[in-house]
Amino acid sequence: MKKLIPIVTTILFIAVIAVIFISMAKEEQPVTVVKGNKEAKPLPIKLNATNDTQCKMLIKRVENSAEAVAPDGRTWFFDDPGCMVLWLENKRFKDKAKLWVYTIDTNRWVDAKRAYYGVTDATAMHYGFGAREKECKECIDFEEMRRRMLTGENLTNPKIRKKLLGI
Amino acid sequence: MNTILLNRGVIVYLSSEIVLWGIFAIAFVVMISILYGWDFDKYTQKQYILQKRAWLTVTILSFVSIFKFLLLPYFVYTIDTLKDIVPGAMCAAGVISANSYGLKLLLLKILILFGFTLWIILNRYDLNAKNYPLFKIKSWFFILLFVALTVELWLDIKYFLHIDINIPVSCCSALFGQLEGANPLPFGLNTNTMLLLFYILYMLSMLLLFSSEAWLILIVIPLFGVISYYSVVYFFGTYIYELPTHKCPFCMLQKDYYYIGYLIWSSLFGAVYLSLSGAILQLLTKSNSKNLYQWSMKLFTLFVAVCSLYIITYYIRSGVLL
Repeated sequence: MKKLIPIVTTILFIAVIAVIFISMAKEEQPVTVVKGNKEAKPLPIKLNATNDTQCKMLIKRVENSAEAVAPDGRTWFFDDPGCMVLWLENKRFKDKAKLWVYTIDTNRWVDAKRAYYGVTDATAMHYGFGAREKECKECIDFEEMRRRMLTGENLTNPKIRKKLLGI
Repeated sequence: MNTILLNRGVIVYLSSEIVLWGIFAIAFVVMISILYGWDFDKYTQKQYILQKRAWLTVTILSFVSIFKFLLLPYFVYTIDTLKDIVPGAMCAAGVISANSYGLKLLLLKILILFGFTLWIILNRYDLNAKNYPLFKIKSWFFILLFVALTVELWLDIKYFLHIDINIPVSCCSALFGQLEGANPLPFGLNTNTMLLLFYILYMLSMLLLFSSEAWLILIVIPLFGVISYYSVVYFFGTYIYELPTHKCPFCMLQKDYYYIGYLIWSSLFGAVYLSLSGAILQLLTKSNSKNLYQWSMKLFTLFVAVCSLYIITYYIRSGVLL
């Protein structure tokens, strides 16, 4: 029996290491932040495998998704422009961050601060601010969208919803 | 004044912590004077007085350690009762995450109890030996414990002062359950591989403790402790609550679950403390820690048996697994 103990111990030890290494090799964690984006470019989003940093939801559609790039190159992802505004508000680098949104009219990444936002669009978190590259009737600019998000004047507010959509 | 500080449990808890710290501070001052003048080769009046003072510090630390072991479950019980006044909290999980001090405090408390266990074991060996071979080590360790206790008291006060009862906190389902696809388990494990690892590590730990392999114990037991924590929260806990979505390390401490969490966590932490302390003692003194290892094996077995029994009884009663 005593002779068996070192053999069994070694086997179990190897088994522990094997289970851990195999699991680590298989691991596919959702992306939450990407480092090293020094050029502050919009990065492609891996759909269904990237988490919104604000609401923690998985990002399932690229339309109306958003990205915030800190001056040090760290990039965060959002499924709704409203989420990005809420998340950014208490960050020290909020004025220096480069912000991107994926537009629904031209289907590409544009500077979020220069984009226009609808107020009754279908967005992931139902805030209603769909991003556009071209100005449209009833569209608002970034500062106005930001103000409305921070004051709760969006479609998640029943009064605003009733006023804008009638439901 | 902060409403939390008017809670009876908090008053009792904080008063106890302050009194214990005060007693420990007296022992700390005495210990500093002992460390400066201690010399076993001398047979002077001063050395004789220092030896008597050393006994005083040992008595104080033993007294404090008994109460510290009682105060950890009382702390958890107290924050569990605070769920009634902290909005959003359903158990201690919400209250402990009410500010950034809570989890750090809990972790520090767990480490301090390990420190006390180790000190008691080193002290016991030291007193049984003829020439107090570990006196210097245990004295420095005593000072380290005092520093840790001071930080703990500061965190205690900060934590309770900064619980705002006007701000809702998250409940345990939000903290441990709804992770939107993110895997909370370490090393990329899934539930099946985690369970496999849990039972392999249990068997490995038993063999290492049985054969007194101190270095390997120091590596494997902390890993088993971590995997056990995740296994209880993300697997065994769901059978305790009989709900696959309920994942929480604190709810099982409540009356609704017959306070089984106290048995589960105390047997796990007790086993980890004793095995690690035994291994450190063995490495420091080349002595035999068999007795400690045997107690550790009993506690680990109790822990694994209780966890496993929940699965077995659930399966027998309902015929299915969650």
